Amino acid sequence: MEEKNVVFVVKRFYNDSEEERRYEFTASRGMTVLDGLYYIKDHLDATLAFRASCRMGICGSCGMIINGRPMLACSTQIFDLDSDIITVEPLKNMDGIKDLVADFNEFFEKHKKVKPYLIRKVEKSVEEGEYIQTPDQLKEYRQYALCIKCGLCYSVCAIAGSNNEYLGPASLASAYRFMKDNRDEGGEERLLLVDGHDGCWRCHFMAECSEVCPKEVDPAKAIQMIKRKAFIAAFKRLFRR
Amino acid sequence: MSLKNAIGLWFGLRGKSFTGYAFVLHRLTGIVLTIYLFLHLAFLTSLTQGEEAYTALIRKTVTPTFLPFDILLVGATIYHGLNGLRLVIAEFGLTRYHKELLWVLGLIGLILWIYVSYLLYKIVVV
Amino acid sequence: MIVQHDVTIVGAGLAGLRAAIAAAETGEKLSIALVSKIYPLRSHSVCAEGGTGAALREGDSIELHAWDTVKGSDFLGDQDAIEFFCSQAPKEAILLEHWGCPWSRTDQGLIDQRPFGGHSFPRACYAADRTGFHEMHTLYERSLMYDNIIRYNEYFVTSLIIEDNHIKGLTAIDLKNGEMIGIHSKAVILATGGAGRLYEFTTYSYTVTGDGMALAYRAGVPLKDMEFFQFHPTGLLPSGILITEGARGEGGYLLNNKNERFMEKYAPEKMELAPRDIVSRSMMTEIIEGRGFKGPYGDYLLLDLRHLGEERIEERLPLIREASIKFSGVDPVEEPIPVRPVAHYTMGGVHANMHTETPVKGLYAAGEVACVSIHGANRLGTNSTMECLVFGGVAGSRAAEFALKNDFEALPKDVVAKEESRIFDDFMGRDGDESIAEIRDTMRSTMESKVGIFRKGDDLKEALRIIKELKNRFNNIQISDKGRVFNTDLTSALELDFMLELAEIVVLGALKREESRGAHYRLDFPKRDDENWLKHTMAYYTEDGPRLEYIPVTITKWEPVERKY
Repeated sequence: MEEKNVVFVVKRFYNDSEEERRYEFTASRGMTVLDGLYYIKDHLDATLAFRASCRMGICGSCGMIINGRPMLACSTQIFDLDSDIITVEPLKNMDGIKDLVADFNEFFEKHKKVKPYLIRKVEKSVEEGEYIQTPDQLKEYRQYALCIKCGLCYSVCAIAGSNNEYLGPASLASAYRFMKDNRDEGGEERLLLVDGHDGCWRCHFMAECSEVCPKEVDPAKAIQMIKRKAFIAAFKRLFRR
Repeated sequence: MSLKNAIGLWFGLRGKSFTGYAFVLHRLTGIVLTIYLFLHLAFLTSLTQGEEAYTALIRKTVTPTFLPFDILLVGATIYHGLNGLRLVIAEFGLTRYHKELLWVLGLIGLILWIYVSYLLYKIVVV
Repeated sequence: MIVQHDVTIVGAGLAGLRAAIAAAETGEKLSIALVSKIYPLRSHSVCAEGGTGAALREGDSIELHAWDTVKGSDFLGDQDAIEFFCSQAPKEAILLEHWGCPWSRTDQGLIDQRPFGGHSFPRACYAADRTGFHEMHTLYERSLMYDNIIRYNEYFVTSLIIEDNHIKGLTAIDLKNGEMIGIHSKAVILATGGAGRLYEFTTYSYTVTGDGMALAYRAGVPLKDMEFFQFHPTGLLPSGILITEGARGEGGYLLNNKNERFMEKYAPEKMELAPRDIVSRSMMTEIIEGRGFKGPYGDYLLLDLRHLGEERIEERLPLIREASIKFSGVDPVEEPIPVRPVAHYTMGGVHANMHTETPVKGLYAAGEVACVSIHGANRLGTNSTMECLVFGGVAGSRAAEFALKNDFEALPKDVVAKEESRIFDDFMGRDGDESIAEIRDTMRSTMESKVGIFRKGDDLKEALRIIKELKNRFNNIQISDKGRVFNTDLTSALELDFMLELAEIVVLGALKREESRGAHYRLDFPKRDDENWLKHTMAYYTEDGPRLEYIPVTITKWEPVERKY
């Protein structure tokens, strides 16, 4: 099997002090960056801390910055990277806890802020059966429901880096997912939550969030579509008066 | 969240893709244009000392030494304007093809830039 | 520090979240703690792919679903529990829809259903092939509506506090700063999932280490039927990532190196959609008899989806395609997928009845951690996610009712300080020369080679010896990370400690059960033996290893018959 020597340069962080540690080992084809980190933990340095769970790109645990770009470690093949020196850093725009482990609490709080659940005026009873939703209606929002909350988009967002209050791409995309769901009746209520200084209008459309998204959710598009909705709603309000 | 982190995300190129470069360039040209705006206003204040003074000042700037700066300034203006147009279109959710639009406008901008540069060159040198 | 919550739920996967919502709805004034060693949405439930079973449509019935499940379980499932389970399933599927789950739809806009192994009706509700993922996200998002659910994310539970057969709470490490806390509770629900990391080739996430089972076991709660471990037919090579049964439900073929659909020899009627134990055994037989393919990662067979066409694959199996391309370099539209049977589900677990009650007052168990038992000796696909929903809901409301009726009982003195000293002085103080990784890897390869699909007495005895030796060696491990903050060296040692305990129970149970039933197949006892073995294994903790007892299976209307597909 094809093998090569690689050097992992890991940004270690503990008790407010940072250091770069280099780990050298032989990687074989098929090994992911996550496999590499486990190799280091098992054989070279057991004190290294990182998060991982499903190793199939669906749980969102192992987001980190690999060679300067936010990626899921489990879904990144070492042989696909164009350099044998692989730098690994924790996600940005979050406080560090230890090594590659970043604090997601704020990220999840912001997600909660957009009321990411179906809002119904009257909930149907179970006996009445399901709400009707055609495959086409499903398609309207399905893409935005694929978000795994890995935080890559949040980490690459310049606005989130300079404004702590900005809701960020993932939560705004989540808001849009419910706006486009034909079962949802939270229209105005939710729009008010995202139509503000710290909501959609703070976005300057760098669109890197969509570039790094491992699930092709396209949060940048979601945010622009929210802007459109907000604009139209404001326009209508103008004439209602 | 530090200032260093924020500056890196706003202006750094490492790890960014093409849309990220467009963003960074938009910020940089924006800053250049803002500085130029103040410079321009400063120039205009010379009008208070009469038309002669203003013309003399302007004449000093229409020289081969200033030509490269003028050309860069035009480039910045064209880029910032056209990319701004793209952003307006994209931010109203009017197109899915903002990346393709970047290429198209980039090409138009480049042609425009070369043409205007040529005009400037004619005025200053010829 | 000690905090107080009326109900504490350990584990925030499907069962845990469903329980939290049910508890929050049952008692609006109750304070409910949801403890998880990982962040929300990272739980292994997101990996469930194919579908969730419920008899929703005309032509199907609860009775038929129940019969399929009973037969699938090789008659080891408790039939009263199965009937209850099947009767609640449709409600849960609809409820999830009402909460926003993006189920795949029929053209009329109803929840669509697909065929699944061992089911005699297409009753797997699905959301493309990300069923578990969407269910998890739906439940998590719904749970955000309830302010009385208090989350303890990244808290690692180290012990349950049980006195006089009453649960009183638990102790947990706050991973962020390494502080040991006590959670004082009237009721505790275990929802920590299975123990799949016992095996080397496994579909399980890194985090599924059987914590809840081991915690309960050590606190004196019996574990039931631990020898039954499901091997899913189609694990992707080389990683073991799950290729959903839905791929065969949509019409995929299994092929050997002679390009034959070999399942016609083993299950002529159901073919690829026979229950998992049968398909996995058939595949292993093909491989052992030399009809597999050879590769750098071991022998394998092929799962062919090409005839489904790109459009159908993209619409119904997008994750499978993504995973095959990313993790195996194979696009199922162009090439068949290399697969091999893979450890996938823990049928056994904490002994609980159909009300999710364990023998300990106030302690409930739901989901994969529990053994109710509705899966018996072999679980049918789609029944696990549904089990989490149905029994998660039951556990949540039962625990909440219990908490409404009862008062807090005093915690034993110094319980947190003692646990703190056990973990941070005794455990973390270990500075021997054994490596955690090496013991773990030996355990996993032993389980893989000796306690796999085909088992025999000698192998099991040898495995038992090795596991016991590993347990000894474990006392001499080295924990290099001496810090308190996010010490994953410590947590992996704690997890290994749990797993070694469970491995011993699995091996011992398998050694003692001298018959073949469902997923447990003994080469030296190849027949099912209803006369002697139609009973559940119960493992009790003792200092010298597990003590086994047996209890009868509940049979209501279906007497055991030969199982043919």
